[in-house]
Amino acid sequence: MSTALRKIAEWSNRPKNFGRLLMLPLNIVLNFVLMIPFGIMIFLSFTAWHPLAGVEWWQAPIAGIQSFAKALADARFQWALIRTVIFVATVVPIEFLLGLGITLLFLGEFRGKKIFTSIVLYPMMVPLIVVGLSFFLMFQDFGPVNLILLKALFGGETMISWFLDPTLAFLTIMLADIWQWTPLMFLIVYSGLVSVPTRLIEAAKVLGASSMQILRRIQLPLIKPLIIVALIIRGLEAFKVFDTVFIMTGAGGPGTTTETISAYIYKLAILYNNQSYAAAVSLILLVALALITRLAIKPLAVKPE
Amino acid sequence: MAKLVVRNLRKLFGHFEAVKDVSFEVSEKETLCLLGPSGCGKTTTLRMIAGLETPTSGYIYINDVLVNDVSPQKRGIGLVFQDYAIFPHMSVFDNLAFGLKVRRTPKHELTVKVDETARLLGLSDVLHESAKGLGLSEIQRVAIGRSIILDPKILLLDEPLSNVAAKVRERMRGELKRIQREIGIATVFVTHDQLEAMVLGDRIAVMKDGLIEQIAEPDEVYAHPHTLFVADFIGSPSMNLIECELLEKEDRVFLDAKDFAIDVTEFAETIKKKVTGPELIMGIRPEDLHMSIKKIDPKAIRGEVQFIESLGSSSIYHLKVGQKPILVKGLLEVEAGDKVWVTFDLKKLHLFDKKTEVAVW
Amino acid sequence: MARMEQMVKFVARYALLILVVLWTLGPVIWMISLSLKPPTEWYSPNIIPQRPILDNYVSLFISTVPIGGTYFMTSIAEAITRPFINSLIIASLSTIFAVLIGFLAAYGVSRYRAGGTFTIFFTLLTRMIPGATFVAPLMVYYATLRLLDTYQALILLYTAVTLTYSIWILKGFIDEVPAEWEEAALLEGAHPWKVVTQVTIPLIKGGIAASALFIFILNWTEFLFALVISVTQVVTLPVQISMYASAVGRMYGPQAALGLIATIPMVIIGYVIQKHLITGFTFGRVR
Repeated sequence: MSTALRKIAEWSNRPKNFGRLLMLPLNIVLNFVLMIPFGIMIFLSFTAWHPLAGVEWWQAPIAGIQSFAKALADARFQWALIRTVIFVATVVPIEFLLGLGITLLFLGEFRGKKIFTSIVLYPMMVPLIVVGLSFFLMFQDFGPVNLILLKALFGGETMISWFLDPTLAFLTIMLADIWQWTPLMFLIVYSGLVSVPTRLIEAAKVLGASSMQILRRIQLPLIKPLIIVALIIRGLEAFKVFDTVFIMTGAGGPGTTTETISAYIYKLAILYNNQSYAAAVSLILLVALALITRLAIKPLAVKPE
Repeated sequence: MAKLVVRNLRKLFGHFEAVKDVSFEVSEKETLCLLGPSGCGKTTTLRMIAGLETPTSGYIYINDVLVNDVSPQKRGIGLVFQDYAIFPHMSVFDNLAFGLKVRRTPKHELTVKVDETARLLGLSDVLHESAKGLGLSEIQRVAIGRSIILDPKILLLDEPLSNVAAKVRERMRGELKRIQREIGIATVFVTHDQLEAMVLGDRIAVMKDGLIEQIAEPDEVYAHPHTLFVADFIGSPSMNLIECELLEKEDRVFLDAKDFAIDVTEFAETIKKKVTGPELIMGIRPEDLHMSIKKIDPKAIRGEVQFIESLGSSSIYHLKVGQKPILVKGLLEVEAGDKVWVTFDLKKLHLFDKKTEVAVW
Repeated sequence: MARMEQMVKFVARYALLILVVLWTLGPVIWMISLSLKPPTEWYSPNIIPQRPILDNYVSLFISTVPIGGTYFMTSIAEAITRPFINSLIIASLSTIFAVLIGFLAAYGVSRYRAGGTFTIFFTLLTRMIPGATFVAPLMVYYATLRLLDTYQALILLYTAVTLTYSIWILKGFIDEVPAEWEEAALLEGAHPWKVVTQVTIPLIKGGIAASALFIFILNWTEFLFALVISVTQVVTLPVQISMYASAVGRMYGPQAALGLIATIPMVIIGYVIQKHLITGFTFGRVR
């Protein structure tokens, strides 16, 4: 036994082998936990399988590209996509602008800066599902938004059933995301801004630039690459939105009007048990995402740092 | 009528007094140099003039206007930083044009001015290149151009040549001198390099520990340093400084440096009036000492050559007179170990009171 | 003149700050308030409970306790001790695995250029892919392996998904350790593994701790996969929260209490991370 170990030890002493050994666990995990299911996804998407039909999945009848054709024509799928894109396109810029605004508020020194910073960063640390729960509770018919906020703004007894109206429900989900992730944008923009060398700002001052002009002409342009990366990362994450949708609108309510793409696929797989179709839809989505990222990366990679 | 007047400037950083009491005036077309070692307060003074630091007390006048409370944006000053700080994300053109753009100067006027400035500084070829890929001398010129394009009342330069390699420094020094002469704005620049100060400054203010020790033209500061510090700081190699005592022996008055003595009877009276005690420090520049192999001057002293630094056209001879090390600059055919005779040019002798460190002769 | 301007700026700044704080803490304050309110006040707008009670919290652990004097039908919602423990086990083990395997891989990529472009590619990829796309195949996969509703399934899954973070973060730290130090040890004849344990690991202890804490948070709060894989046995805390919300309808008090309990450990860990890693913690190098 010990000779075997010693042989392994000797073998692993050589750099190339040691390197391979290091990557082994990663490869094992990846293959078993992700690669195989991916293969299953591809297989499933070409079949027409229903778990309740009595056959095992590997015996399911091959259905060719039926599922794909169906998916591409599926209005609900299209709407889910559109909705998700609208979500991302609305939420990310707002988070950025608010983050920028808060950054401006935090520039310079002032009393209690550390405490205020800790407080402002707090939402990032709340588990996503709890954020959903929070906002769910707040926008209830008898919740504080109706009873306190609206009363203060409009007086009288305004009662809006937020979750019964498609647009309003969508709004609440967006608000939840904005609430949670604006601090991240603030963090990124602020760190970026602060890292601009003071010299440059002093030079601009002496040349006559006001604070606004300095911000616009010097600071923001210098942190542009950072911001772009941040927006992309946040955009990709926002695209996956699910937790808040699930708990606030029951994964898409009212009806299917707030169904994001993640919610739709989830329902296909779990509620309707239509694994084949879910797989097909998933595959289409993945391919689309891969293509878009490819297209987006190209100009970024060319851009000199 | 002076363009810049600085009176009794003082700056405290917490408990640290960076600038204690600084006053000077700079007229139009004049270049003043603030010279001193690091930490003497020269950069802080410069920053206060620019408006980047607020004086703890004191006054700053630009064109007879008190500017203590005026923001740096509005002072009409040009400032070139030590590390130049040109905007890396802009082209040379945009860098030069920045101040004008900020003032919303109309486009064609802007272009004319930028072209003019670029031509003056030899930047016309790189006008549309990004600031990132420029060479050091070009960067410096952009930094200068960026400031002067706004016709500032005063130009401030922070260590303009310390970032530069020795060889290039000479050339750039010449360039700066040319630009200075052509532009003719009142200029204040800060440096720790006394050679730079001597070459570029119309007047030099030697600073130490937040105070100006002497402010005068380069020749004056060189030939008649007011304090020990100034004497030591100016001149390369540094002035020989030897401790001595004022001694009266028989009828004659000597400066007794233990290893040798110098007869100073002729001007003893003048000296005696200014000293606080008999302990003095004498100073003589290496270039004001004369060496010979044979004893020519009866008052010459004997010294031994320790080693020689050859500089090409002349050499620095490290001698030992008794115990004292003395440097002489000159040219003589000797080797280490040889003995030579050294003569003091009494007209170039400096004397400083040991306690006050002020020149008494 | 300048004084006036300064006054206005001062007031404006703090006014806006207060606004931001209210917006930020609003939801929390309401949750705390709800969690301490008796059922009679659940639908009232007052923030401070008139009759504060702790029953909401207690009822989470013992489901048959009356809240504020009223008995509720809590037979569908279960006590949270089991989900809490489940979350703890799953999150901890996955974190350990992720950091372990991630460290090995990060070291391999950093020092031995192993894995090549694929590893980098994979790292980016797993962050981009929506979890939902894997739901169907995962269901099928684990069902076939009879691993549905088991700890193993979730642990494996979480490990795989968070590997990208641990590799990214740890690689950053490993890169900071001068390779010369390790080479010196290698030259003295030490086995590469010894070099790793004796030289590298002690130097990046901070990085290991940071990535571990960060991944722990990710695992603890993960929802989608837990929802899909767990049925009754391995229900994690987030899933429990969602079940609570849907099953018990308008029991705002306990719901809020549950939410807070789930949040507090995360916030604490979050602050610990903040304190120890101010710079560069934007998910690796954002460059």
